[in-house]
Amino acid sequence: MTLDRNKLYSVLFIACLAGYVWLYFSVTKNITEKKLVEVCIIKHATNIPCPSCGSTRSVISLTKGDFIGALKFNPIGYLVAIIMLIAPIWIIADTIKGTKTLFNFYIKTETYLKRPKIAITLILLVIINWIWNITKEI
Amino acid sequence: MDSKKVDMFIMSNGKFFEIHQINTIKDRLNEVDDSKWAMLSTAQFKDPTTTLIVSLLVGSFGIDRFMIGDTGLGIGKLLTCGGMGLWTIIDWFMIQKATREANMKQIQQFLY
Repeated sequence: MTLDRNKLYSVLFIACLAGYVWLYFSVTKNITEKKLVEVCIIKHATNIPCPSCGSTRSVISLTKGDFIGALKFNPIGYLVAIIMLIAPIWIIADTIKGTKTLFNFYIKTETYLKRPKIAITLILLVIINWIWNITKEI
Repeated sequence: MDSKKVDMFIMSNGKFFEIHQINTIKDRLNEVDDSKWAMLSTAQFKDPTTTLIVSLLVGSFGIDRFMIGDTGLGIGKLLTCGGMGLWTIIDWFMIQKATREANMKQIQQFLY
């Protein structure tokens, strides 16, 4: 799949939409913690949490204003929340104006993240977060 | 380029590309001069079967997407637990085509 502007925007938009639907579903239905994690195949199959397990609970804590609780659940929740807040607005603005600033930003970030120093640091951070996830048995 | 060399290249590397792309590559290879041969013969292409295995085993972390150079999509997959499991399953079927297209992108750098 060669990624062009429209493809990237539709993928991102659908992902954000699914995220909001999932968030609404989890908040209103008041799903218990045990059921929440079942959406993750790895957690379901092996009983070991994956690096991003707990980000739903983290985002829910953020919407309630509990910033420290969100950090304790999973710091990745912050990243997800920021993307979910900014991406739809940026996409809509770009579509109305007919520009592709988000696409250019995406390509720039991609090449930036591929630099070995940054890539290794980020991989280490994800692994540390994963180990933390496993030890706190999220 | 010598047609013998072109045939040899297609025979040993054909599996890395989509079938409908092979003819384009062949035509283009016949046109370019011999100086590209050294670079072409040392080019490393990603094997679609390997990426499929990676996708089956650790697709939930987005490693398959990182492997073929789609860093952005890889991060998206990693952050969402493999797109809540759905994207992982979709990618089991999509990743081979995506790999071949990534290879096509790579060979285009040599050909044009």
